[in-house]
Amino acid sequence: MTYKTMNDSLLWQIRHFVYNHFADTTHPPSVDETARHFNITGEEASEYYKELHNRHAFLLDAETLTVRMANPFSGIPTDFKVHANGKTYYANCAWDMLGIPATLNTDAIIEAKFTESNESVKLEVKDGKVTNGDLLVHFPLSFSRWYDDLTFT
Amino acid sequence: MLLFRSEEWIDKWCKQNNLERGEVLTIHQVWELSKLWYDNRLSLDYHGRSIEQTAEIFNQAGLTSKFWYI
Repeated sequence: MTYKTMNDSLLWQIRHFVYNHFADTTHPPSVDETARHFNITGEEASEYYKELHNRHAFLLDAETLTVRMANPFSGIPTDFKVHANGKTYYANCAWDMLGIPATLNTDAIIEAKFTESNESVKLEVKDGKVTNGDLLVHFPLSFSRWYDDLTFT
Repeated sequence: MLLFRSEEWIDKWCKQNNLERGEVLTIHQVWELSKLWYDNRLSLDYHGRSIEQTAEIFNQAGLTSKFWYI
């Protein structure tokens, strides 16, 4: 299957399914779960996943085809834990820990770690405002280089 | 993007890791950026965004230095 033979509407439905699965369950759907949901083969679902990865809609682990990042959600545990809507999510980075309550449009308690000391710190998003607003986030790469190595970024 | 307590710690960390210093935003600034950046991420209609749309978000968030050029 090539992009030319893909159904564009289905491609974006799969992106939507993956993101909302993350929001609902805190983890990404597997290729097989996605295939079952859309009544397509696992091979077809894999090709759609790869196409969405190529378009930076999410980041796949190349070997397992598991969704590693669907920003702001992380598929693996990180130093940025977000408690919201009675669930616990992992964010990819210090920006994404705020991206999760922004995406879910909800209040949140965030447990993060300072890079320099590994000490824990708690932040709260409540009624559209954030506590500890004077702490700092370092963006190491300029925007034009973000997609060179998304895991490092 | 990593979290720090102070500018001093960012400088030390960059030096220790032999990395150039990038741009530093406060949590407050990152929250304002997040609200713009992630607003419609769960929507079926979100298919990514154009260069112009991205530039507009940075502009609205007050991020106008060369670091944010697209």
